[in-house]
Amino acid sequence: MVKLSPDPFSWLACALLLLSAPLFVGIVNKLKARLTGRLGPTTFQPYYELLRLARKETIYSTNAGFISRVTPGLLLCTVVFTSLLLPLGRSAAISFPGDIILFAYLLALGRFFQILAALDVASSFEGMGASREARFAVFAEPIFFFTIGSLAIITRHYSFEAIFAEISWRDPFFMVFVSVGLLSLFFLTTVECSRMPVDDPNTHLELTMIHEVMILDASGFDLMLYQYAASLRLVLYCALATLILNPFGVFGLFVGLAIFLAVLVLLAVALALIETLMARFRLPLVPQFLLFATAVGILNILVFTFSH
Amino acid sequence: MIALFLVSLALHGLALLLPAFLRNDHRLSVVCNLVNAIAAGCGLGFSLSALLAYQRAEYSFDLPAVGRVPIGFDGLTLFFLFTFQLLSIAGSLYAIGYLRHYIERGHSVRGHLWFLTLFILALQLVLVVQNAIVFLVVWELMAIGAYFSIVFERDKEEVRRGGFWYLVATHASVLLLLVCFLVLREVTGSWSFDDFAHHTNYDPKALALILLTGFAGFGIKAGFMPFHVWLPNAHPAAPAHVSGLLSAINIKAGIYGIARLMMMVPAQESAYGWGLLVVALISAVLGVWYALAQHEIKRLLAYHSVENIGIIGLGLSVAWLGRCYDLPELTVLGFAGALLHTLNHAVFKGLLFFGAGNVYLHAGSGNIETMGGFSRVIPLTALSFLVGAVSICGLPPFNGFVSEFVIYKSLFRASDLMRGYPPLILLFAVVGLAFMGGLALACFTKLYGIVFLGRNRSDSELRRQPEPGSSSVALLGLAGLCAFLGFFPALGLRLVAPALRDLREAARAPADWASPVSQLEIVFLLFLALTIVVCGAKLWIQNRIGVRLRETWGCGYPAVNPRMQYTASGFAEELVKLGAPMLRASTSWEPLRSIHPFARSFHSHCHDRLEDGCRLTLRALERLLASFRWIQSGNIRHYVLYLFAALAYYLLCALIW
Repeated sequence: MVKLSPDPFSWLACALLLLSAPLFVGIVNKLKARLTGRLGPTTFQPYYELLRLARKETIYSTNAGFISRVTPGLLLCTVVFTSLLLPLGRSAAISFPGDIILFAYLLALGRFFQILAALDVASSFEGMGASREARFAVFAEPIFFFTIGSLAIITRHYSFEAIFAEISWRDPFFMVFVSVGLLSLFFLTTVECSRMPVDDPNTHLELTMIHEVMILDASGFDLMLYQYAASLRLVLYCALATLILNPFGVFGLFVGLAIFLAVLVLLAVALALIETLMARFRLPLVPQFLLFATAVGILNILVFTFSH
Repeated sequence: MIALFLVSLALHGLALLLPAFLRNDHRLSVVCNLVNAIAAGCGLGFSLSALLAYQRAEYSFDLPAVGRVPIGFDGLTLFFLFTFQLLSIAGSLYAIGYLRHYIERGHSVRGHLWFLTLFILALQLVLVVQNAIVFLVVWELMAIGAYFSIVFERDKEEVRRGGFWYLVATHASVLLLLVCFLVLREVTGSWSFDDFAHHTNYDPKALALILLTGFAGFGIKAGFMPFHVWLPNAHPAAPAHVSGLLSAINIKAGIYGIARLMMMVPAQESAYGWGLLVVALISAVLGVWYALAQHEIKRLLAYHSVENIGIIGLGLSVAWLGRCYDLPELTVLGFAGALLHTLNHAVFKGLLFFGAGNVYLHAGSGNIETMGGFSRVIPLTALSFLVGAVSICGLPPFNGFVSEFVIYKSLFRASDLMRGYPPLILLFAVVGLAFMGGLALACFTKLYGIVFLGRNRSDSELRRQPEPGSSSVALLGLAGLCAFLGFFPALGLRLVAPALRDLREAARAPADWASPVSQLEIVFLLFLALTIVVCGAKLWIQNRIGVRLRETWGCGYPAVNPRMQYTASGFAEELVKLGAPMLRASTSWEPLRSIHPFARSFHSHCHDRLEDGCRLTLRALERLLASFRWIQSGNIRHYVLYLFAALAYYLLCALIW
């Protein structure tokens, strides 16, 4: 049964997530600046940038067809819609058995069109980015399905809401399992959201990037939508990683919210720390890194199954 | 209602006669294809109405030497009949526009149309006859019809070669099926499928033989690995409408056979289920990986059929496991997923092959490395191809997602209901399905991006070209169907329901097994509404602020040319390299001979290890058989001697017993 939540709080929570996405990116950037000894721009800088982009006119390539014009909006919609599937607060806005599959496949739909949009403008740089995005996505899917799928198999549910509701902090084995799962999801965040050590969101050297090079030709309102969708995707994956600890179910709404935000900030610190301390992997190493993350997931479920 | 089906058969029969009476020109092609399309339309009316108001119907007639031949319309038959007729309509309509191109070049179509009609007709008859002997005869007719339709351009070497692959594969399949049915006859004492199904005490050894030969025989037709070798060779050889029909419905005859076999024989041994699961998973993952390495558009699509057959096989194996472990819900779910994916794959794979045909006509070859920017040349084809590409990747809200969702659900439910280690294996199947989803995404972004987007790599001018009306109707119709079956999953489930009701387990499965699939339309419609609102708002705002057109940003380099775009091989190279043990990529180029530039060429080819192995085995077999060649001396007196020896042998046998 498809359930649309009657609880206004879950819709409100999604709206808050949508509003606070650039803020999260701002926090990461601010932390990174402080860690490298700079003052950095204000935490709200991403909002200003989005506003600036939104007021500019859009320049399309003469090669660009309808794919380039549709993709920014479609991409944003996939991310917004997937955020409705996450149980932020008491329940998810939209929930049904199997929504974990829809989650992964909707994001894949967005990725499909983003890759096509990169190929649409006939630029060799963007083609390079598209090829990389397609390649790394292949290895990212198994991480998600190993982590969430093994949780689904253990809890015998397969909607986010029901899976997360089953997670309790009582069983120490389960807690270890869940924390390793959180680690896997964090690895997944770095690849899906183009962060270090897979991709560098800061460089402006076209040859080294993945996400940034795919939107090289986007401008104005389209670029704003791309950037906003990227920040939303980052906060979405971090929220998913946080929800695996089930803070709302274990501690109730308000304490849960505090813990949820605290873990989110911790993840932001982790992202900033990695980006300060590490360099980006050489590209051939990325699949190895992703397979490592998959192996962690496999090991995790094997250990858990054998210990029970 | 059966009258409608008889009318359909009669019209197909008329189409068989037409080539003899009409002039061998475009009008013949139009008339013959239209009659076929109308015939299939009548048949579709019959099967659809029979599916919606389901009642099992049976008829029978007597044939000399064979005995009673039952003609049955049960859920499974009707479902496959519906699928086949649907694609026959689209295929016939598409053929009108596609064949015109050849007729204008003076190509004769008379024989081709005759065999095409035979192919379509025999495909439908395969489904309705329930007698093993007649089944094999019709099966053979279908193979012959398909073979002669494939070798349409038989003056080309590679076409004859591809057709030969098909001929060999289909006869290997018939041979195995013959063994399978002979054993069945031996065990049950009858040729009729009903008696096979009612027979209960199968000897385990005989059952093993039946299942192995049956699965292998039908598996060759369906294209499970390692029997897939004929697909990537035969599909590029055939004209586009025939490749579409081959992939969309001919290989589904193999799936029908496996499903029919599963409904007939008792399932006791779970090993077959696990075996099928492994084979299906390997077919699916390797199929798409091989597809990724191809740069011939139809070869690529053919490998994708192997992948999708693997996905269907996953559903069938879950159904089999459900039967072994006595979990009726799994049987129903697995079967539903497999059948639904059969229909969906037929729709989008037909669409993709027909689209590839239009691309082929405009590019003059199937090599995608020279293409690009076709969305400006043939926009309708581009749009429908996009829908097909999104569907085949299993992305929501199109039909591929719905059937993959059911298969995911069956795998998750299986791991939920089973105890011990099976859940872990099934988790790997889930992850495998996700992994091949990622590979399919890479593959189809490559295909669509390289063929339809960007600039043309051979730098020809991109101006809109006319697309034949009948072809466009077929393409847009199939694309619409992809969206329709995706947005309203309940409809597809309704079509599958009669086949599921015939299952022994149907009564014991929970009533809400299909939930939440049938309610997904709310989610999809919400998503659609959101997308329309956001995209509409975006366009409105953009138009208010202003839009300009400029050259693509070349990072400061002003002399950009189309050949600097990413190529298909470049796009897929890294992923192909990672599949190295199973995929061998080889490159060849001339070495530099002087410091002055001269024309050079570079070739890269990706070898299918299984195909190489298959070739080696066949060559060894050929050498072995060549050592017996002296028997065929060509001397008439020797043959008379053989006749005499054989006669003497039989007389001797008769005397002794």
